[in-house]
Amino acid sequence: MGTAHSNAAKEFLKNRTYAKWHDATFWAVRTKRDNMAYGLEEWEQLREKASAIKRHTITHLDEYLDQFATKAEENGCIVHWAKDANEFNEIVYGILKNHNVKKLVKSKSMLTEECGMNPYLEQHGIEVVETDLGERIIQLKGQAPSHIVMPAIHLNHDDVGELFEEKLGSEKGNHDPTYLTYVARLSLRNEFLTADAGMTGANFGIAETGDIVVCTNEGNADMSTSCPKLHIAAIGLEKVIPNYDCLAVFQRMLCRAGTGQPTTTFTSHFRKARPTANPMHIVLVDNGRSEWIGNPEHWEALKCIRCGSCMNTCPVYRRSGGYSYSYFIPGPIGINLGMLRDPQKHSGNVSACTLCNSCQTVCPSKVNLGDQIYMWRQQLDEFGTANPQKKLMCKSMSMVYGSEGMYNLGTALAHWANIIPSPLINCGLNPWAEGHKMMEFPKKPFHKLWKDIK
Amino acid sequence: MSNKEDILKKYRANVREKFDMPDLSDIKAITYPTPLLQFIKMTEMVGGQAIEVHPGRDINVLIKELFPDAKEIASNLPEITIATRNPDTVGRARDLNGTDIGIIRGAFGVAENACIWVPQTMKEKAVCFISENLVILLPKSQIVNNMHEAYKRIEFDKEYNGYGTFISGPSKTADIAQVLVMGAQAARSATVLLMPE
Repeated sequence: MGTAHSNAAKEFLKNRTYAKWHDATFWAVRTKRDNMAYGLEEWEQLREKASAIKRHTITHLDEYLDQFATKAEENGCIVHWAKDANEFNEIVYGILKNHNVKKLVKSKSMLTEECGMNPYLEQHGIEVVETDLGERIIQLKGQAPSHIVMPAIHLNHDDVGELFEEKLGSEKGNHDPTYLTYVARLSLRNEFLTADAGMTGANFGIAETGDIVVCTNEGNADMSTSCPKLHIAAIGLEKVIPNYDCLAVFQRMLCRAGTGQPTTTFTSHFRKARPTANPMHIVLVDNGRSEWIGNPEHWEALKCIRCGSCMNTCPVYRRSGGYSYSYFIPGPIGINLGMLRDPQKHSGNVSACTLCNSCQTVCPSKVNLGDQIYMWRQQLDEFGTANPQKKLMCKSMSMVYGSEGMYNLGTALAHWANIIPSPLINCGLNPWAEGHKMMEFPKKPFHKLWKDIK
Repeated sequence: MSNKEDILKKYRANVREKFDMPDLSDIKAITYPTPLLQFIKMTEMVGGQAIEVHPGRDINVLIKELFPDAKEIASNLPEITIATRNPDTVGRARDLNGTDIGIIRGAFGVAENACIWVPQTMKEKAVCFISENLVILLPKSQIVNNMHEAYKRIEFDKEYNGYGTFISGPSKTADIAQVLVMGAQAARSATVLLMPE
């Protein structure tokens, strides 16, 4: 009866030590987030404002996108509009080709991940170098991110050490994180200096000024745009916000919620190219967003600012890891975005939720993540992805619970199940017995107890 | 290829209920009795170093004392006389690689998170990131409480009006096993010199 998620999670849980570390690590990040939130009396007010700003902005996106693009063009940027992933990849490749780019350095962007940009460009002969350390590690390893903010969290320092020995020629057996970070720094420094173009994502686009705002701790977005002659910024439509007053609200929350820091080290505003570079290109990407806004139950997923706090707090994510989800974004927000993208393909994730609603309690922009997952579950039958075994169980249960006679008979007889020898009942054929022992049925059911007391 | 109008048309057809912009003027944002003290505390918390410079102190001497081994020093600030490189006159941005200390000016600091607003005021902004150690000169009277106040006053440079950044401490990462390491891709140390009036 396992779902795609629960089956994948079994693999993750095989390494008990690591699974425990993963859980504890993210709980520690959640605790850091709490310390930050409790340190500001206005935290809940900020969440209210953030949610209201996003609700307003994403329901007036046509106005703000137009303002943003107009302003960016006035600033001297070249603005492109991509309706889907394919068009986005073609546009980026077109720009790179026009500038005869052989090597592209890029900072972290979930959007380029969403569009499958790296493999596309590589097929067309362009070398793409990820420059966020975590992204670089998984790129060298040939893997996908397992968390949106901490992409290489599924690897320990020995994994990284061995990888760097092989790929970057680091000292054998030296797996000290400080040393390994320095090795990556030297290697990436060379990439920054020799790249022909730099690409960044965008945490925010500012309609009033045309700024692309990128938040990093490493400074890799700034390094990616400081030496190459060309900067391309990729931004999802929903990332545009009205002005600096709104940005102040989100800047204060993004990092506090995501990693428990008071700010990222760098909050960079890119308005146009450096004086010694070619004009900056901005690619606005739709890829489903203009449709999702019309979904009456799920449009608010577009309020997400990708801080990662929902996955850090999620008891299921913490205990199953990013690779247990079929969508490239894991955790509560990933479950919802995956279902918006393709419910047939990603229904296996909606079971990865205890409905504890911790995600929507911490979400800085108050996306109703848990409620949305609950609503997706109600629709599985429509999508044709409901589990037949569970459907049958639900049907039988509603029959039993719907009839007083059958219910009473059932509870009166249930204790006979206790005499079945344990190996027969706590076995693989009984899905309930997986991970926990079958309960013992009481001789006196609750109804009987209640009547006797009376 | 589709264009702007196609995407906006599709969006307009799908968007349902419209919501109003909230009033942001009533946000009760944190303030501090002495913003400067909070700024110094936060600078240390994010891994930086803040030093109050006394009137009459020669900052060139001070910087030399702080980094006795530094050879290549990059700056375009007129008061910096120890610079060996100038980000305004280097041939290419990459020529700034190998800089031991980059010295730049910050416009104002933010007490709540140690951010310093650094508008681009040099031809090659690489100096702010490529240097091994970053020194930021900041007038100590220019500290605001929080980011709401900060975003009310940020300005870009008139000449280099394409870029500005908030910097809070040195470049850092915890991408390897969640161990915090200073000096990921940009400066490995950040020193704020709090300048007198």
